[in-house]
Formats: sequence, C-alpha cells, structure tokens
Amino acid sequence: MDGTLIFQSLVLGVLLGGLYAILAAGLTLYFGVMRVVMIAHAAFVILAAYLAWWFHDKTGIDPLFSMVFTVPLFFGIGILIQRVLITRLRPATLTMMSVLLTFAIALLIEGLLGLFWSGTQRRVQLSYSGSNFEFFGARIAVVKLIAFGLAVVSLALLFLLLKKTRFGLALRATIQHREAAQLVGIRTDRVAGVGFGLGLATAAVGGTALSLDATIYPSLHWSWIGPLMAIIVVGGLGSIPGTAIAALVLGVGQSLLQVELGTTWAQTVFYVALFVTLMLRPQGFFGGRLAQRF
Amino acid sequence: MAKRRRRAVSWAAALSASVLLVTACSGDPRGGDEDVVLIGVSLPLTGDFSEPGKGVQRGYEAWVESVNRDGGLLGRRVELKILDDQSAADRVVQDYEALIALHEVDLVFGPFSTRLVIPSARVAEEYGMLFVEPAGAANEVFEQGFENLFYAAPAIANDHYDHLADHILSLPEDERPQTVAVASMDDPFAQSTAYGLRDRLREGGLEIVVDEEYPPNTTDFSSIAAKINASGADMVVGGTQYQDAVNIIVQLRQLDYQPKLAAFSTAPTNPEFSAAIGSRTEGIVSPTGYTPDAPYPSNVEFVELYREMFGTPPAEDEANAYTTGQVVAAAVEAVGCAEQGECQERLVDWLHENEVETIVGPLSWDGQGRPEGAHLIQQYVDGEIRIVLPGETGEAEFLYPKPEW
Amino acid sequence: MRNASDTEERVGGGVDAPRAGGGFTLPGWSRPAGLAVAVALVLLFPELVPNAYVLSAGVIVASYACTATAWSFMGGFTGYVSLGHAAFFGLGAYGTGILIRDLSLQPFLAWLLSGLIVLVITIPIGIAALRVRGASFVIVSISFVLILLLVFQAWEDFTGGANGLNVPRPFADLYRPDHHRIFFYLFVALLAVMLLTWWVVDRSRFGAGLKAIREDEDKAEALGVPTRDYKLAAYLISATFTAWAGGMYALWFGDLDPIFQFSILLGAYMVLMALLGGVRHLLGPLVGAVVVGTALEYFKLEYGDTQLHLVFTAVLLGVVVLFMPDGVIPAAGALLRRLGPQQSSIREITAEELLERNRAAAAVGGDADGRGGSGVDGSRDGEEDGR
Repeated sequence: MDGTLIFQSLVLGVLLGGLYAILAAGLTLYFGVMRVVMIAHAAFVILAAYLAWWFHDKTGIDPLFSMVFTVPLFFGIGILIQRVLITRLRPATLTMMSVLLTFAIALLIEGLLGLFWSGTQRRVQLSYSGSNFEFFGARIAVVKLIAFGLAVVSLALLFLLLKKTRFGLALRATIQHREAAQLVGIRTDRVAGVGFGLGLATAAVGGTALSLDATIYPSLHWSWIGPLMAIIVVGGLGSIPGTAIAALVLGVGQSLLQVELGTTWAQTVFYVALFVTLMLRPQGFFGGRLAQRF
Repeated sequence: MAKRRRRAVSWAAALSASVLLVTACSGDPRGGDEDVVLIGVSLPLTGDFSEPGKGVQRGYEAWVESVNRDGGLLGRRVELKILDDQSAADRVVQDYEALIALHEVDLVFGPFSTRLVIPSARVAEEYGMLFVEPAGAANEVFEQGFENLFYAAPAIANDHYDHLADHILSLPEDERPQTVAVASMDDPFAQSTAYGLRDRLREGGLEIVVDEEYPPNTTDFSSIAAKINASGADMVVGGTQYQDAVNIIVQLRQLDYQPKLAAFSTAPTNPEFSAAIGSRTEGIVSPTGYTPDAPYPSNVEFVELYREMFGTPPAEDEANAYTTGQVVAAAVEAVGCAEQGECQERLVDWLHENEVETIVGPLSWDGQGRPEGAHLIQQYVDGEIRIVLPGETGEAEFLYPKPEW
Repeated sequence: MRNASDTEERVGGGVDAPRAGGGFTLPGWSRPAGLAVAVALVLLFPELVPNAYVLSAGVIVASYACTATAWSFMGGFTGYVSLGHAAFFGLGAYGTGILIRDLSLQPFLAWLLSGLIVLVITIPIGIAALRVRGASFVIVSISFVLILLLVFQAWEDFTGGANGLNVPRPFADLYRPDHHRIFFYLFVALLAVMLLTWWVVDRSRFGAGLKAIREDEDKAEALGVPTRDYKLAAYLISATFTAWAGGMYALWFGDLDPIFQFSILLGAYMVLMALLGGVRHLLGPLVGAVVVGTALEYFKLEYGDTQLHLVFTAVLLGVVVLFMPDGVIPAAGALLRRLGPQQSSIREITAEELLERNRAAAAVGGDADGRGGSGVDGSRDGEEDGR
C-alpha cells in the first residue's frame, strides 16, 4: 500500500465528508424541531440535482446558478410540508406516521422524476469536469472542491444562524424542550415550519453540489438516505455539530476502506457504525440527547 | 353481533370483487386475426438499460418494416407487441408471461441485457417457445440448459476482445503494454468481455495490477480511479455498459491518468458517447459485432433502410435486433409455420441444424445456442469510429499508444 | 335511526358505537356463509381464470397477501412500523436458494430451514432495533435492507452477486401454468397458517400484551407487561413468516437478484397493503394485498411499467397515512358511523380533549356515564377489532 494512494483517498474522503455533512445537517434539523425522520430528504437532494442538470441543459448557464431558484423554492416547500402535511398527523403516532408520509413523498418524487426525465442516467456536462490541480502529491478535481466549498459555506451559515440570531435561539429552544419554549412565548409551530424550510433549503444546496460531479437517476436517493440516517444517529439525533463530525469521520472512513475492500463493502461502514452506536450508545457519540427518548 | 356479521360479509364481498377484477382484467386476446404474425418482445425502454433498449427497439422496427415491404412472413403481415420491462427481472418475466399466455403472440424475440435474458428465456422454455435473443452474450446464458435459445450475434462475450488480445501479444516484448488495470461492472455481459481479455493478457505474460469490480448502480468511481492512477498501469480495461464508462473516464481525467491503451466494452459503440465525455475519445478501443460497412448483401439493404427510417447509420444494438429478426424469419420460412404449439419445436430443430445468412455474416450455433464467430475491434481515429482489427478487414491503422485525453 | 343492534351493543359493551348505524340486521348464517364463499372463490381461482397470465398474477397477489399479513404481526400488533421487511423476504428467498445449491437439500426442507435461519439472524437485529423506540427502529429497519442489498451484491462467491442466483425448480419439467397452479395453493396454505397463528395470538395473553404496547408502551410496562421480550417475540414471528413467504417466492420465481429481493419498494408495499386493509383486523392485510396487488398488476399491464405505478403507490400511501391510518375498512365504517355519537380509541385523544368531552357530556346531562367510559371503551375497541 503506497502513501500517495492513501493520501489521495484521504483527500477524497474529506471532500466527500463535506457533502455528507451538509446533506445530513438538514436531516438532523427536521428531527430536532419536529421529531420527524424525513425519508424524503435524499429524494429532494436528487430533485435539486435534476433541476440543476435541467437548468444547465436548457440554458447552458453553470448549474450552480440554479440555486437562485431552487433554494427559495425548497424553503417554501419545506414550510408547506410542515404546515400542511406533518401537522395533520396525530401527535401520538407522529414519529411512525411521519416516516410513512415522508416515505410516500420520496416515492412520489422518484416517480415524477422518472415520468418527466425517464430512468436514464444523467450527468451535467461541464467544460471543467476533468480539470484538476495538484495538492501535495494528490490530485483535487475542481468540481469536487467547489462542492466541498459550497457545503462548508452553507454549514457555517446555518451554524451562525442557529447560534447568533434570535430565530436561532428560538429554534434551539424548540429543539431542546418544545413545551418550555411555548411557555416562554416562542411560537413553536411557526419556528418548526421555518426549521423545516431551512432543512429543505440545505437539500437544494447539497443537491446542486452533488450534480456537479455525479451521475443521477431517479432511484439514486435510496443509496443516499441510508448513509445519511446512519450519520445522524452516530452524530446524535438533533445535533448539527455532531452530525458534521460524524459525516467527516464516516466519509473519510468510507474513502479509506474503499482502497482495501472495494466500493461496495466500504459502504457498509455506515451501517456498522449505526448498529454499533445503537448497541453501545443509543444517544449518539457526539452529543444529542434525543435518541433515547424517541 | 350484527357488526361482526356485517364485517365478514363486507370482506367476502371485497374478496370476491377483487377476484372478479383479476379475472376481468384479462385483457383482450386478439380475436383470431389470422392474417397477422404477432411477435412479442419486452424491452427496457426505461431504467438502467433504456439507451441500448431503445436501440434494440429501432432494430426490431426496421426489421418489421423490411419484412412487410417484402410481403410479410408466410404471406402474413408482421406486427410487434412491445412491453416495457423497466430493466427489471421480475417485470420481464411477467411481460413474457403476458405476451405468451394473454396476448397469445405467435413468436417471441429476446429482451436486452444478459441479466434479463436468463429469466425470460426460462419463461419461453417452459411455454415451449423458440427464443432468439439479441443481447445475452455471457457464458452463463448458455450454461442454463436451455434448448430453445439462440444468440443472434457473431460471438459470445468472452471472445469479444480476441482480436485485440491477438494483436497485443503479437507486438514485440518492449513495445507491448506491461501492466494492465481492469475495472468491471458486476454484470454478466460486462464481466465476460473484460475478463476474457484480462485472462488472455495474463496468460500472455502481462501483469494485472488492478482488478476492481463494482455493482451496477455505482455512480462514485473516484476511489477506483484513484487505484488505477496509483498503479500507473500502461493499459486500462473497462468491463462497462454505458454510464459507468463515462464516469470512469471523467474520474481518470480528474486524476490526470494517461494510459497507452484504453479499452471499454459497449459504451464507445453508443452514439452519445463522444458528447458525454467531451470528445476526449481519441484512441479508445471497443469490441463490436457489427459495422455498417460490412459487405454482406442484406447489410447494405439494412443500412439503407435504417438511414431512411431514422436518419443515422445503425449501431450494434440495432444490428443485433435486426439479426434476431432475420434468424427467426429464416426458420419460419423454411419450416412454413409461425404459431404457438408444436410448430415452435420444429423451428428450434431447424435452427440447430442450419446456417443462416445475416447482416453480420453467416451464423450457426452449437447445442446450447452459442454462435461460432468472433468480434471486430473498433477505435476512435480522428474522431471517427473505425474498425482497426483484425488487420485484413481494418479500415484504419491501430492507434498505439493512445493520445492524451 | 336506532335499531335493535344498538341496544345489543349497549348491553354488551356499554358504550360501543352503533356500527350498523342506519343499517340492518343480517341473518345468523351470513358470517360463515360469507367466509365460505370467499374461501371457495380463492380455492377455485385457478380453475376460473381465463389464461395462465392471470393465474401468475394471482400467485403474485397471494405472495403479497402473505408478506402483508406477516408484516402485520409486528406492525399491527405492536404499532412498530418496519419499512425494512423486504430484508427478511430476501433472506428467506436467498437462504432457500443457497441451501438447495450448496447442500442439495430437498427444496421444501431448504425452505423450512431457511425460515428458521432467518429467525436466528433476527434475534440480534431485533435486540439492536428495539433498544430505542420509534425513529431509530425505522432507521434500523431501512438500513437493514440497504446493508443486505450491498452485502448480497458484493459477496459474489456466496450469493451470486449482481448476476443473481438461480433456484432450481422444485417440480421439474412442469408446464408453466401447472407450476403456477401448484404455487398458488402453496401460498394460500402458507397464508392460512399465518391467519391461524394470528387468530391464536390475538386471543392470548401475549396478544393482549402486544396491543397494550401499541396503545401506550410506558403504561404497559408499568403494568408489568414484559415489553422488550414481547416486542422481540412479535418481531421474530413476523420476520420468520416473511422469510417463508420469500422462500416460497424463490421456489416459484426461480431467479433471485439482490436489487429486487432487497427492495425498499417491496417493504413499502407491505406497509401500504397492511395499513390500507387495516392492521388491527385479522383479514385486513389480506384485503389490502388483494386490492393493492391487483391494482398494481392491472396498472403495469395497462399502462406499461412506467413510473406511474410509483406515483400511484406514493399517493395511495400518502392518502392512507393522512386520512385513514386505521385502514379503509374502519374508515368506511367510520363514515357510516358519523350519524351516531363520536368516539375514538384512546391513542387518538389527549387527556384534555377527553376531559373537555366529559364536561360537555355532563353538561348535557344525558349520556354521562356512557361517555365517561370512553377511555375504557377505546382499548376494548382494539380488542374487538382483532376478531
């Protein structure tokens, strides 16, 4: 095993981990504010990637600019999903039924993608898709770096929003204790709606980042939702910093294991981590106190 | 007590209604239209194999057009009944079940992709139907003990690269590539092609430095590309279908890996290929069972008709489908029947004993339905697909080493 | 529109709503007669069909009915929604195939054994999944399918990988329609065993404990129900039956492919069928499977296998979850019941609402004692529905 290959894999792993982090952040946000496991999150990611591809295909403008439309659109859809659909469910069975409901949404998106754009695999054709530069002996592809940068910037923004603004305070209060937050005058249902919108907006950003260097097809979301769910459990349900750390660790782990075990076996690292976490520390390894109770 | 009774009755009603619904949705077996030969086929018009699936469909349509212009089969007009199996094995089985038992087709043609051929061939076998197919080239297909199956192309997948292997091994030691990296989709067809070449090269003394395998739905090839790059292999062999080849090439370019020879199955024969990888195709090699320039009389006719119908020259999938039609037609004309039942057995027997003239040359089969021929090797030369091997039929010089991509 | 049945209900259960509200009384022979007609129709089905295709569709629907009923042992009794039951289906199917291939076992012996192997494998999975409630259970159930999909694709030497696994026909050289006929009856027999098991569990202390978990797990635990063991036992029963359904499918279908055996969609179908029919009813999942399965086959035949059936499944699942989480039959019943007094199961009502309603009832002064018993009635309702 030579050092260059390991270093190259490490670099690829960090780049991949960044993408995982922004995608999983949304997922953990929904769970935090609503105790909802949003199965459709990855489907929305793929939808955003399709929109980016379509936008590029029709206009020839760089797919990154599709975010001008998709981010607000997804934010709105997120609020709608929370206010119109999720709140209709009975509180007693919310967790289970919301899974089924979001599962149905995921299927719906997959089906509609297939109807509109067929099951054919798609890929954005960029002039710079093969461009790369050297980085201490490893090669970094420009498209991968852009995706990583996008992920880091949006995660940082999300973090600042939660830590530094009044809204962030309200949102964190809602995550920590919904009833108490209501008592101090926070309109938790409105906060939860915006939280849902934010989560879906991260799906738009993540999907666009994904579209730069990935082949997409309608049923692709199933191979993303598994790793993402594993990440949020390992990181501790509801904790965004925990999610980011778990995403990086598992992304790098996957990338390094690929060298030894090949692509398929390496992907099992997520599920092994998930089972180990549930057996040893159901509340997650990096904070998050919610899993025990739900 | 009444509520229980009501419920039991409503269940019984629901059940019977559903049973009746199943019985009622039996469709419309065609009402004894004796002037038509109805041919059933299931194709992946959506899903993983939709691109080649549509190619096969165009090939079948061209064949139907050609037969009907010549007065049909046995004087009867030919019609196709095409169902979409979405590249899924459970669907392809139900499709052939429906074609044979429900639509009562007279003949069936094979679907696309080896993994779909085996399940559908079993349905045909168990209904006693002749099963000529355009796509199941991997060895597994012929090891299932099917008696009614014939592959309508010149060679099985393991032998596709034979001419390339011959050529490489004929080079002087110091000019040959020394190391080879292999990556193949876990798919019977893709693997057979790549591993056929890999094994020949290994026996010839070349070193296999990377041997990777990935499942069909893989989209992230960065680590496979990293390994190939790290090995610095002189030659890269891809056992690929379509999109995976595009992805591997893009990832290899991202790592600035420049092999002396790059061979990929299937994808480079697809018309979309050069657009998909940004025209960096120069020097890429692929096996093909077909070239539009082949001199066989029926091929000249086929290319002309195809151009007239679709405006482009036919590619390999189209040609294989057309060949399937030719093979079945030859048997039908010789035996003089086309319907379900004992006729099918006579068609099968005839094909086992005879040779058929097709657009890819004369075809004959062994007892398991393996064709006995070899594939050509194509290469992108000056942006055009040219047949480069074997040397005597080559349209251009074999380009080696490959220019940078 | 009050009638004799109302009085009967009142005497029997105190406050159970008049389900036959505005209805009529059926003669006493109608229940056995209705069931007899249904059973006869099912058994005669292979003789009634016009062609082998419809028969093969019937086999598929029967296999759906088996999986949906098996799913319901967990999802119905305990209320734990598993989206990953396709994992057990696939394990049962592959187990059967591999046992025949490697040990040359008699096909049906392999089938039986494969179910038992899945039972053993499920024990640690169940323990991990049931350590935490709700969300994590669902995550684990989905992850389990996804991980098995990967493993069965990657472990080529053992499972055949993406090339698939060919399961030899248990009855060699059979004309295809005869093959379908035999398997239709085999699936129906398996289903009958499951229904019988359900009927037995439903009447047992164990069944009552499971339903207590469904209604309120904390209270059940406080009352001394061994919730963890009960949940695990239900999970094991459910997994084993699903595996047997999968094994039977393998023997019938013959070609296994990881993508189709470990498919999330298959798990979703099970949930949809069970929920649609009503998970609390003995025959609910069966009815759901017949309705959804027939609709799916019909859809695919008429409109080709486009993505439309995915949209259809999604919309149907969404509608069921949002508007009739207890199933179509209870929902239809509820529509009829609108005329009568309102009442609901305990899980659908908060303490405040209950209090509010009791106050209102007291204010009206009429039916006070009846309404006050609403909570008790709720749990009774669950019991009754199982029958």
